[in-house]
Amino acid sequence: MLRYVIRRVLASIPLLLGLATCTFVIVHLAPGDPTQLYVDADADPRAAARLRAALGLDEPLPVQYVTWLKNAVTGDFGDSLSKHAPVTEIMAEAIPRTLLLASLSLAVNFAVGILIGVLSALNRGKRLDHVLNSAGLFLYSMPEFWLGLMLILLFSLAIPVFPASGFQSPLADYYATWDYLLDILHHLVLPVFVLGVASAAATARYMRGSMLDVLGQDYIRTARAKGLPESAVIGKHAMRNALLPIITLFGLSIPFLLGGAVVVETVFAWPGMGKVVVDAIFTRDYPLIIGCTLLSGAMVVLGNLVADILYALADPRIRY
Amino acid sequence: MSPRLRAVLILLPCLFAACGKSSGPDLSNTAVVALNGDVESFNPVVTRSMISSEINSLIYPQMFELTFNLSLGRLEYGPALVKRWEFLDNGRDIKLIIRNDVRWENGVLVSPQDIKFTYEMIGDPDVASPLGNYVDNMIFTNGRFDVDRSIEIVNDTTMIFHFASVYPQQLFHLTVSPIPKHIFKDVDRKAFANHPANAKPVGAGPFKLEKWTRHQEIVVSANQKCTLPGPGLLERVIFRVIQEPTTRLTELKKGTIDLMWPVYFEDVKGLQEQYADIKLETLPPRVYEYIAWANVDFEEYKKSGGKTVRPHRLFGDARVRQALTYGINRKGILDAKLGPYGELAVSDFSPIFRWSMNTDLRPYPYDPQRGRQLLQSAGWSDSDGDGVLDKGGVKFEFSLYYGIGNARRAYAATVIQENLKQLGIVVHLTQLEPVVLYEKASSKDYDAFLGGFNVSLAIDPSNRWNDISDPYNSAGYHSDRVSELITLGLRAPNENEAARYWREIQSILHQDQPFTFMYWIKDVVAINRRLKGTKINTLGILDRIENWKIGDPKAYATF
Repeated sequence: MLRYVIRRVLASIPLLLGLATCTFVIVHLAPGDPTQLYVDADADPRAAARLRAALGLDEPLPVQYVTWLKNAVTGDFGDSLSKHAPVTEIMAEAIPRTLLLASLSLAVNFAVGILIGVLSALNRGKRLDHVLNSAGLFLYSMPEFWLGLMLILLFSLAIPVFPASGFQSPLADYYATWDYLLDILHHLVLPVFVLGVASAAATARYMRGSMLDVLGQDYIRTARAKGLPESAVIGKHAMRNALLPIITLFGLSIPFLLGGAVVVETVFAWPGMGKVVVDAIFTRDYPLIIGCTLLSGAMVVLGNLVADILYALADPRIRY
Repeated sequence: MSPRLRAVLILLPCLFAACGKSSGPDLSNTAVVALNGDVESFNPVVTRSMISSEINSLIYPQMFELTFNLSLGRLEYGPALVKRWEFLDNGRDIKLIIRNDVRWENGVLVSPQDIKFTYEMIGDPDVASPLGNYVDNMIFTNGRFDVDRSIEIVNDTTMIFHFASVYPQQLFHLTVSPIPKHIFKDVDRKAFANHPANAKPVGAGPFKLEKWTRHQEIVVSANQKCTLPGPGLLERVIFRVIQEPTTRLTELKKGTIDLMWPVYFEDVKGLQEQYADIKLETLPPRVYEYIAWANVDFEEYKKSGGKTVRPHRLFGDARVRQALTYGINRKGILDAKLGPYGELAVSDFSPIFRWSMNTDLRPYPYDPQRGRQLLQSAGWSDSDGDGVLDKGGVKFEFSLYYGIGNARRAYAATVIQENLKQLGIVVHLTQLEPVVLYEKASSKDYDAFLGGFNVSLAIDPSNRWNDISDPYNSAGYHSDRVSELITLGLRAPNENEAARYWREIQSILHQDQPFTFMYWIKDVVAINRRLKGTKINTLGILDRIENWKIGDPKAYATF
């Protein structure tokens, strides 16, 4: 297994290099000159030319690429054009906040989704199944943007229970540790609900289908015929196999940890990677776009790797 | 639902509601301001956005105390770091007497050396300051800004700025906040914009930076050592970055922010009727929207290297541009989207500059009939009866570009399309990402686009109407008389004389309609009444923020 993991990690290097190269070329060829954005409209037009020269954007593209690649190999992804700071520093500030939001959302998504899926499957055709299906479909159909705003209006303005925006209260850094953690948790409730519970509906659908498939298998009938208690049949025999497609889904959801929260971060003014990426794209901040893309690429590779490893753990028949 | 589960569901929100700032600092003397974007850095030499400039002005010392005299419509200068000033050599040079009791936060005196160093950075091409044009009229040697010949330090409190010529904005170009030389003196110029000190500024203004969390909040606290003009009355000001307008508005309604802008026109009525705690003020108009028409054939112009100037096939005739302005119901768009928070424009000279305004000019009314007559007189008719005007085999049909994400412009574009259809003109609407639209406009790759412009506090039309090659002359407009008037206006010894030239330019622009000038926008600012002493004016939202205070120091709610 270890050799397999090392091989996969090594194989990802040319993949990421290819990704970086493609991104570099695409963002530089995309229409729109960043220096037009970075000088005042009433400033001397030569200011844009001066800035272009200072940023090295007047060099031929291959020269810019080689310079970037040389620096990137040493871990220097350059300075953000729009934020006057190193790309790594900006990403390092934003990543933990997005990881916190997205990993909790992912946990909620899978915990709630699996639970609802199993309950639905076990109560197939009954009232509970219909209620869970309808509620799930309703939540899943709501655009995240709209759902977020509605929750803010309901739970922040009409019934002021949760904060409307931000990662923490103003000056929360001065709080005692426990208060500080509670404050962050308090701010997490609505965004995690939007990201996690709404997506849980989809997970529940997968889980329900997978569970129904498994429950119809001969070995489940055999287990029941042997007189095993229902909790053992479901928990030990059915769940383990029904979870296999969910593990794939989980692995594929990991890249979403960094990029998928864009809309929710905007609505809840959550200062994470989603906002960094969107701002970088709109300001043609080339180094930052490439840095974020590389990070997302690495997450995709990692997600697939995690999915494969979990697969092997869940199903002893699978060996690499 | 089991009673235990029900109890948990009821108690959970109460638990969350109870958690919060039990151990946090007292926020009763703190104001919270919502921003729709973050600052780029805390260095006035390299920042460009309006909000960065405003926040930097709280932290750095100000050279002059600026006041915008609304009744006269002009900027007035008072002493600040500069105690006194006098014009020398018939107004070409300016002598400044600097205060000797202003200190940076770390105790070092603010000196003329700091001011000279700041201008040296502005004029250095490696730094690529967006303020580069501030030194353009000082002394250059071999094509480079010569800081030693431009800025002469006489002694610890006296310095002289030397200019190449007399022009009305000389004093305005001395308003850049100085930065501390002792912090930046050894920095590599190419790395100046990204210097770590730009995120931890050492200032001398009424507030100092306490904390900056990118994309989240900027916290400034009163600088008790400040002597220029003095520490802020508020203990702290928190700037919260909230991009989404509805979320921002919700925070305002909840009372968790004290000031926000812009408030959309559609939200004004609800705020006025339901939130007595919130007052609304307007910013004098400095932003206008327009339709840029390609006055000349840009393709031919570029192909010939700027030598061939041929009128544009559709918009090259001033009568056509006038007809388009008559044919577009600008008042209808204004009423629907801005109401009382906008006014029709006659040119790109902001109404705030009262002294320079040509009050004889009136906005073109919506008069499609007059538009049809003008088009006919310019030779456009529907010769083949297909409902579309044509001339010499060319149909009057074009693409109107506008940026994605601006609901007002999207609405305006639809009205324009419908209005011009009534004149027999086919308009194809094309939405573009704003960056792409900027590039199209500056590279003159368009027939018509809908845009907006934020005018400077100093009148300088040379970037707009002087030369076709100027990237900001989106229309590609040129008039010998306008160019002459711009030169005369910029070199006029005083504003009264400059006003004569500016009025004539407005008259010519009104006649020629290089753009269809749509309307000026007055941004609405919402302020919680507990915040006192705000002075929303042309100079910005945060002007004189050191005088802000909390009238009702009730505890600040933290969710």
